[in-house]
Amino acid sequence: MNDNKLQQLFAAARRETPPPAPEDFAAAVLRTIRCAPAERGPETGSFFDPLNRWGLRLAFASVAVIVLCASADLVMGAAGQPEADDGATQVSAQYFMNVEDM
Amino acid sequence: MTEDEELVRRIRGGATDDYAELVRRHQSRVFAILHRYERDWQRVEDLAQETFFKAWRALAQFDGRAPFEHWISRIAVRTALDHLRKENKHRKHDVALDDLGEDVLDWLHHDADRNELEARGAAEVLHLALRQLPPLDRAVLIQQELEGRNFREIAATLGTSVIAVRVRAVRARAKLRRALENLGAGPMTERRRRGTDSRPGI
Repeated sequence: MNDNKLQQLFAAARRETPPPAPEDFAAAVLRTIRCAPAERGPETGSFFDPLNRWGLRLAFASVAVIVLCASADLVMGAAGQPEADDGATQVSAQYFMNVEDM
Repeated sequence: MTEDEELVRRIRGGATDDYAELVRRHQSRVFAILHRYERDWQRVEDLAQETFFKAWRALAQFDGRAPFEHWISRIAVRTALDHLRKENKHRKHDVALDDLGEDVLDWLHHDADRNELEARGAAEVLHLALRQLPPLDRAVLIQQELEGRNFREIAATLGTSVIAVRVRAVRARAKLRRALENLGAGPMTERRRRGTDSRPGI
């Protein structure tokens, strides 16, 4: 069977119109929903659903914040300003000095 | 906010009856999709019920990023795919050539594209040939050729990569071509074509 004939078959099949849905179909769906008492309402998503949905975005946002902080620290260091680890060293030195004083 | 999104918001808020309106708006599309996978109208109706029930249960997960129509279509395709998988387990590929008309058999036998194929006959013969393909191959071909979806949309519906869909589409098309050739060359078809089949009405 050549490709042209196959395309002809697909084109003809695409033209087919399906029979319409039964008139009371929507009501039947509602009945089914009501007949399932344990599942009366739409499921409220679990704790992990929003995490799954937003996981990738949160990861990108976290990486962006870390990169921003690191580059700001580097820029400040290059400009002669005290870097973040200078502050940490100072704090720990003060703490140890205080301990020694005690 | 679209009308569908507004309806969904009301349903989530407890207006269960409004779901009937949502069903009425999208039922023809859902039936049309399911009818591509299953020809038995009673089963199509059952599958449509299942689709809308699943949608109801998952309504909290509808985030409005895509239109409701796309969301429900995706559920319908997955429901159809599950159905095909179950069907594949329980049923052998019994090809009912008896259902095909003479014009379809003629069309299958002639190499020249001289006659136009009638829509229903084409859909029937296509369905018969597709039944010989694995469910995922069927789903890819139906979506690509009959529903006019692109590879990216198909990949999203089936939860796979675009490349995987592209490869599967090429292979599925080759399988379908072979299946159609087998349909046209089957012994029953030959008997009917020659008019030597002794069964009544043939």
